[in-house]
Amino acid sequence: MPSVSSVTSATASRDLVDRAPTPDPVTAADPATATVDSWATEYLRADDTERHLVEAARTCIARWGLRKTSLDDIAREAGVGRATVYRVFPGGKDRLVEVVVCHEAGRFFHLMHAELAAADTLEDLLVTGVTSTLRLLADDDVLAAVIRHEPELVLPHFAFHQLGRVLDLAVVLCRPHLERFLPASDVRPAAELLARVVLTFGFRPSAWVDPSDPASIRRLVSTYLLPALTTSTTNDSWETT
Amino acid sequence: MGGHLDDQDPTRCRIIEAAYACLARDGVGDTTVEGIVREAGVSRATVYRAFPGGRAELVSTAVAHAVVEFFAGLRSDIGDVADVTTLLEVGLVAARRRLDDHEVLQRALEAEAGRIVPELAEIMPVVVDLLAAELAGRLRTERLRPGVEIAEAADLLARLALSLIGTPGDWDMDDPAAVRRLVRGQLLAGVVEA
Repeated sequence: MPSVSSVTSATASRDLVDRAPTPDPVTAADPATATVDSWATEYLRADDTERHLVEAARTCIARWGLRKTSLDDIAREAGVGRATVYRVFPGGKDRLVEVVVCHEAGRFFHLMHAELAAADTLEDLLVTGVTSTLRLLADDDVLAAVIRHEPELVLPHFAFHQLGRVLDLAVVLCRPHLERFLPASDVRPAAELLARVVLTFGFRPSAWVDPSDPASIRRLVSTYLLPALTTSTTNDSWETT
Repeated sequence: MGGHLDDQDPTRCRIIEAAYACLARDGVGDTTVEGIVREAGVSRATVYRAFPGGRAELVSTAVAHAVVEFFAGLRSDIGDVADVTTLLEVGLVAARRRLDDHEVLQRALEAEAGRIVPELAEIMPVVVDLLAAELAGRLRTERLRPGVEIAEAADLLARLALSLIGTPGDWDMDDPAAVRRLVRGQLLAGVVEA
């Protein structure tokens, strides 16, 4: 079993994306869809013990960082025996990161889904989605702690080649919502753009994009993003310029 | 941060270049002060006087130096470009090509992403600001759509451009038609009057 190092997160995330437990041959061929499905399934299927342990894990990670957190620490924090912890995280530390990420992502997108489905216009959809995601990134102190103290464990997943996987996940998450307002061929470029916007302002906030100020996000969306999504990307007039 | 990019002092320059040579040869993980001292051919004391932060400061400075070189090279690739549309179209393609061809970076990303990416993340804010300044200059001569603020548009475009250069995603940067769609249909769609 690999020891915790910068390899751990890579292993965990590769696991996340490559794992395709669903029997559906269509989604099994698409790792991003399989990942999102597994988040939703894991989160909804988790029992109270698992949720409690995930909370305890988050507390430990916020306190000591990911590297220094051991399964025994989590057991102590949660007030359960080692056997319980090793049952929930059978793969050790690798599985720990995976489960925590799955839960957090699953919980977030589960909550978001209803909000997004209720949006009446593309503009409202974007404002809701961008605001909620930026808020999540701003308010998650565990993520902030890991980024600050152990950036090598997080940042590589959001840059260069590995960012491509995140964009694939973003497309899967956005598709059911964007499809309500955009032609199918525009969904991918739209989702990728939105993911890039959220990630850049999530990692490095700027005063003019303030998720606690609805007017700020609405301005960003209506001025800069809506035209970028609704100008047809298959418009042939670009060819003749 | 300005100190990192100051290359007036020849000794400092020499040390930075030596540090970069070590990074290129050994990777971040195996670069040592001793190695840099040897490569630069100066005394250990000289190195520590110039870089009191030691190994960490040397590595950060060498990475910053490489980034500055990258964009200087990109500038010469692009040449003189008057308008923001052409700047982005030519710039994204040239940058992507330069990045693909950058052996040292590609090797580092392959072998030690956990070490190189945080270093790049440290310097990115400076790069965004420099790029935004370039873009803002050209936006001033464009017919802008209502509600557009130059500083904000430039900030957004710079961030997105860097994101695209590092990760083109679904866009095929080798296809001029795709690049036109990206720049005119997406990036500038909300900024510049059609």
